[in-house]
Amino acid sequence: MPVPKPMERKQAAYSNLDERYAIQGEKYQGQQYSHIYFTRLHHMRNLLHALVPSWKPHLPVTTVLGLEEGKDCIIVGTLYKHMKLKPSILDEYSKERSAIPLVKPHNFMHPDDHLILEDESGRVTLAGAIPPAAFVTGVVVALHGKETSAGNFLVEDVLEAGLPPQTALSSACEDKYVVFVSGLSVGSDTFNPLQFQLLIDHVTGHLGDDNEQIMASNIVRVVVVGNSVHISPRFVNGQTVASKDQSRIAEPIKELDIMLTQLVASLPVDIMPGCHDPANFSLPQQPLHRCLFSGASTYNTFSSCSNPHQFDLDSVQFLGTSGQNIDDLYKYSDAKDKLEFMERTLRWRHLAPTAPNSLGCYPYTDKDPFLVESCPHVYFVGNQDKYETRLLEGPEKQKVRLISIPRFSESGVAVMVNLRNLECSTLSFSTSFDA
Amino acid sequence: MSSGGRGGKRRGPPPPAPSGAAAKRANPSPGAPQPPPPAAAAAAGAEEEDMMDEDVFLDESLLAEDEAALLLIQRDEALASRLARWKRPALPADLAAGCTRAVVFQQLEIDYVIGESHKELLPNSSGAAAILRIFGVTREGHSICCQVHGFEPYFYIGCPSGMGPDDISCFHQTLEVRMKESNRSSNVPRFVKRVELVQKQTIMHYQTQQSQPFLKIVVALPTMVASCRGILERGITIEGLGSKSFLTYESNILFALRFMIDRNIVGGNWIEIPAGRYRKAARVMSYCQLELDCLYFILNTTNRYSDLVSHAAEGEYSKMAPFRILSFDIECAGRKGHFPEPTHDPVIQIANLVTHQGEGQPFVRNVMTLKSCSPIVGVDVMPFDTERDILLAWRDLIREVDPDIIIGYNICKFDLPYLIERAEVLKIAEFPILGRIRNSRVRVRDATFSSRQYGVRESKDVTIEGRVQFDLLQAMQRDYKLSSYSLNSVSAHFLGEQKEDVHHSIISDLQNGNSETRRRLAVYCLKDAYLPQRLLDKLMYIYNYVEMARVTGVPISFLLSRGQSIKVLSQLLRKAKQKNLVIPNIKGQGSGQDTFEGATVLEARAGFYEKPIATLDFASLYPSIMMAYNLCYCTLVPPEDARKLNLPPESINKTPSGEIFVKPELQKGILPEILEELLAARKRAKADLKEAKDPLERAVLDGRQLALKVSANSVYGFTGATVGQLPCLEISSSVTSYGRQMIEHTKKLVEDKFTTVGGYEHNAEVIYGDTDSVMVQFGVSTVEDAMKLGREAADYISGTFTKPIKLEFEKVYFPYLLISKKRYAGLYWTNPGKFDKMDAKGIETVRRDNCLLVKNLVTECLHKILVDRDVPGAVQYVKNTISDLLMNRVDLSLLVITKGLTKTGEDYAVKAAHVELAERMRKRDPATAPTVGDRVPYVIIKAAKGAKAYEKSEDPIYVLDNNIPIDPQYYLENQISKPLLRIFEPILKNASKELLHGSHTRSVSISTPSNSGIMKFAKKQLTCLGCKAVISGASQTLCSHCKGREAELYCKTVANVSDLEMLFGRLWTQCQECQGSLHQDVLCTSRDCPIFYRRRKAQKDMAEARLQLDRWDF
Repeated sequence: MPVPKPMERKQAAYSNLDERYAIQGEKYQGQQYSHIYFTRLHHMRNLLHALVPSWKPHLPVTTVLGLEEGKDCIIVGTLYKHMKLKPSILDEYSKERSAIPLVKPHNFMHPDDHLILEDESGRVTLAGAIPPAAFVTGVVVALHGKETSAGNFLVEDVLEAGLPPQTALSSACEDKYVVFVSGLSVGSDTFNPLQFQLLIDHVTGHLGDDNEQIMASNIVRVVVVGNSVHISPRFVNGQTVASKDQSRIAEPIKELDIMLTQLVASLPVDIMPGCHDPANFSLPQQPLHRCLFSGASTYNTFSSCSNPHQFDLDSVQFLGTSGQNIDDLYKYSDAKDKLEFMERTLRWRHLAPTAPNSLGCYPYTDKDPFLVESCPHVYFVGNQDKYETRLLEGPEKQKVRLISIPRFSESGVAVMVNLRNLECSTLSFSTSFDA
Repeated sequence: MSSGGRGGKRRGPPPPAPSGAAAKRANPSPGAPQPPPPAAAAAAGAEEEDMMDEDVFLDESLLAEDEAALLLIQRDEALASRLARWKRPALPADLAAGCTRAVVFQQLEIDYVIGESHKELLPNSSGAAAILRIFGVTREGHSICCQVHGFEPYFYIGCPSGMGPDDISCFHQTLEVRMKESNRSSNVPRFVKRVELVQKQTIMHYQTQQSQPFLKIVVALPTMVASCRGILERGITIEGLGSKSFLTYESNILFALRFMIDRNIVGGNWIEIPAGRYRKAARVMSYCQLELDCLYFILNTTNRYSDLVSHAAEGEYSKMAPFRILSFDIECAGRKGHFPEPTHDPVIQIANLVTHQGEGQPFVRNVMTLKSCSPIVGVDVMPFDTERDILLAWRDLIREVDPDIIIGYNICKFDLPYLIERAEVLKIAEFPILGRIRNSRVRVRDATFSSRQYGVRESKDVTIEGRVQFDLLQAMQRDYKLSSYSLNSVSAHFLGEQKEDVHHSIISDLQNGNSETRRRLAVYCLKDAYLPQRLLDKLMYIYNYVEMARVTGVPISFLLSRGQSIKVLSQLLRKAKQKNLVIPNIKGQGSGQDTFEGATVLEARAGFYEKPIATLDFASLYPSIMMAYNLCYCTLVPPEDARKLNLPPESINKTPSGEIFVKPELQKGILPEILEELLAARKRAKADLKEAKDPLERAVLDGRQLALKVSANSVYGFTGATVGQLPCLEISSSVTSYGRQMIEHTKKLVEDKFTTVGGYEHNAEVIYGDTDSVMVQFGVSTVEDAMKLGREAADYISGTFTKPIKLEFEKVYFPYLLISKKRYAGLYWTNPGKFDKMDAKGIETVRRDNCLLVKNLVTECLHKILVDRDVPGAVQYVKNTISDLLMNRVDLSLLVITKGLTKTGEDYAVKAAHVELAERMRKRDPATAPTVGDRVPYVIIKAAKGAKAYEKSEDPIYVLDNNIPIDPQYYLENQISKPLLRIFEPILKNASKELLHGSHTRSVSISTPSNSGIMKFAKKQLTCLGCKAVISGASQTLCSHCKGREAELYCKTVANVSDLEMLFGRLWTQCQECQGSLHQDVLCTSRDCPIFYRRRKAQKDMAEARLQLDRWDF
């Protein structure tokens, strides 16, 4: 038996760009959310104002306050969507508890919802060519229209900032893959250890024939996109935990650590927090603490990252979240698929417009980290129901690979992206025999 | 000033010296000639103040005053465009020119004024006369003032037997002399105009003969009725008959109401003045677009023919004219620590919204501000340099917009008096011309309104001629029982939105800032002006009140300012007039102490019933009894008459209380007739309501049926009101005695018929009976069966009653928790498929003294017991809550207790927690401390042993900021234990032991105060986050022992941060939502808002939790 020549794993130049999402040193000192909206509006307005001359050069740009009845003009401001069904924390105090529990819709849309445009000078209710279903609170747009006698603004046309500029992609000739896996949910009922082990074995090259091993050696990085563990909420709701249960809290984390250690031993791994992970709730979620991964964190191939996560591999730019931003859009607006929501966030140049309104967010005072200033080449979102992908092309030749990554514990699917051509494929693992 | 920080500004400032000042203000103005004093007001006596006319003399000299002084301040372009928007639509040319067509309008207000009698219309009269003024609006929105001449005030007395025509003229002379004596200062040429002999009958008691001679005494001016009545009541010497005192009839009716009754005009109906029957006023007195003069009667040889046609509210005439409704709010810059007072504090903003009745959006939105103010979208911002300019601009707005109805929140007690007093302080004599009469100043006087139903309330009566005032606060207090009447909580309740609340100490700061901060204030002020309009629309007040006025026949303004009795009296008078009956003026008969046995309540068999309980209700029980047994003033036979008349037993009813009333065959009662009409009309309205499609029409009909129901029910109360207009305890005690008898009767029949012996499966049991309902347990186990038996029982028992008394089956309670009399809860079923709602009576769900924790706990327990049928779950829930309370995990806002501060500390005889706290807070910061009229929120804190209860109260904000431990034991014992035991005692054995003393009460956690005395000497040391062992190195998080549990302990810390972040985000974005702006900081400090304390706490906890988390970053 010939000794096979050891295969060498390919490498890719990695730089982590998460700095903008760090909240190190920031403190809660009574700041409110108005600043973040203010910063967002300020930034976006500069962008939109620059676009107006090529959009509708003949029209004057004014503020909400400067509107004159019947006069065509352009206004720029933050949208606010008034929603009848939007859950309110005040409802918790409502006197009458309705006997029949409200049916929880997947989505809080209602035909009576309407949009309002706000700038520093005031608010105006919108009507006309701006469908409330396609927009959410927090988006900054420019509108062409005129004020009606009822004091509303009749919209004729909407200008979004559009895809941000993109750095050109250098042409590479080698296949290099990045694997995305999301929603491992170690410790939950749906978690299947064998399935995950198969994935690890495949990626590390312990499975399959030469072809598959060659393929595996082309994998340069694994990104774990949120919700890696599942900790029963009853252990962490503030109640005292019996000492026999104390160890059970950390059990799924230990298990995850063991699995991750296998991975990091052979290739670099990024891990992002998700909404069920032991991390903070507000976006941006800070990296999972190293003390949780006593094994994996000893390797320098292990990096714990923030959510959103932004990085650069062989000068291909990646940007992604663990799914909260898109899930929130899904609750408060409508689109044909998740990719369309993703596309919109790029066109709005904002990763999470609904933060802070319906999505938890740190009350920044001087910046809005979710503004998308340059267009990524790969934009991924984790913890979705199904795998979807599309190549989005912008007017300035931007090309973005949009990926919706399914939950691994439910689908057994991980996603591979080829750095050479941004093509996308899946790795599917099944442990049932009847398949 | 807004309702805001004052918890609703329900009570104004402590009245500095109201009586003196107000009395002075009641006169038109200092410089103007004094009108003659109202004739012999003293004779009328104080107790009748409620029903007194006040003669207002038309001051002719004022009319000559230089109009230029009243002109608008500046006439610039902006103003011109404003005027175009403000003005009413121009009169059509033909109306403007002459009297060629009929004028049809909906009247809203009728008053009268004393003026020179009209020389052309009434050529035969001269001297001062009362002129009625009807203010209204046409269908096209033109304002009308119609002056009716020739209606004279009058009343009746019984004619002494044997009085001939000569005696009458002699009597007339004597009366005239006596009147002259008692009204010396008056220069009226003739007091008593006529004395006529008429045939009438008194309403009191059953009479065999149809009519008797009465004297109708017609006097010159309305106030003379009272004076003349006084003379006659005290006694007058008549030649040939000697000294005699008289009982007067219909002598206590307000003049305007008298006119309405005689002309068949009801409040808010449409009036038509046919073409040629009116003339345009020669000299225009009012600001109305059209001012007419017409005659009450035209006297010609054959007929008395009226110029006025009063249309019944049907068809086209049931609609509403497009009234103009002005909703406004003012802001004042108070000094630190004081409630704004007109003597010191300027009015800085007035926000106004004007809406056409029936339209969804206001057509005028503006805010007048002192000093510059940045513009606001959709709002006309009108900045002024001086306060004088603001006030005058507002007066101009009123005059140009010409609103028919002025609304607001607490305008009657705060905003309007404040503006008027402020103008007086600033010596702006031309300000208070807000009414529709040219140059006539607004009159302010203190008024008290007392009613059995609504209690006593003090208010200020601001007379604005021709405009109806509708204070939403008064309406709320009358119509709804709420835990708080602040505008914030009322709008949260009805409109489902919280209102931002800016504390009045901030208002001055905002005013003294720049034009941006003033804009912030203006937005807030506008919102306060908008909410009353929204409430008005949402609760359909205009429809309901106009319908009520139409049904009962009183002017709309009476509905808010007067009690129930005037409405019944108005109906009674109208009916009596048709029957040629007159109503005696019986006054002071009852001292208020005459009582009679009230409604009966069957003993409640407390318990938790898990079988369906059917409820049998008497439909309109009291009205039905009055109809069934023909109970009325005119059918009552007093015992002495009973012997005299010797009526056959078959034509009388003897009531269970022993009174005798004749049956309808002999004499049909008026009250039963009124009730029949009301109920029949209600039936029609309800039937129409079913048919109606148009939402506006439905609103009118629904308002009508509601008004009819309320009116029918108030008739009984009228007869029982011992200090009322025409009390007759014989009637009211008979009604209740019949009611009691019926409840007993029902119980007996049910329990006799529905038995196993009678062929039913179970023996029925009456477990409880209230005023007009009986709860029966038939023993069956399904709702459907219970409904079937309920219907059967209702039909069977109804058959045994005199018509129209009817027992109805309405609902089934299943399960049913009966605690005691008037306290019960259950699921309410009207169809067997699913229950309608959870119904709870008399249980701590609304009382406002309790903290929110009690309310939530009780509601949740009831829900678990009744809906989920999960008693163990409810018990567990209680235990968890108690454990949370003891472990200091309860949200502080749930523990806040609020009490109104009605007077200052010294005035309270006993020390009270909230008063002491207000005192302490004043020492800390006089600017934000609560003042009289505020509601004081507080929590009970842990204090030194033996501290008095009142010393343990503390400001929730102070508690939050300083980490002061609350006293869970107090909440356990004084707040939650009683209501809980009440609910659980029927269900659980040993409820108290089980709920309040179990193992869940063992573990207690008290937070450490951050600034108490001893803590100043304590040294803070870092402890291990796992086991609380003291650790030495500042950089460490865990002790060596806990090192292995790192991951687990980190998870817990971060989970805590995560929960708080979620809460923080939700709370603060909610407040952004309420304030209606994303780009501005939240300022609100509404302590009425349930999340206010939570928001503060989240902010503080968040900072602490992050610090904890940061310790992990080694």
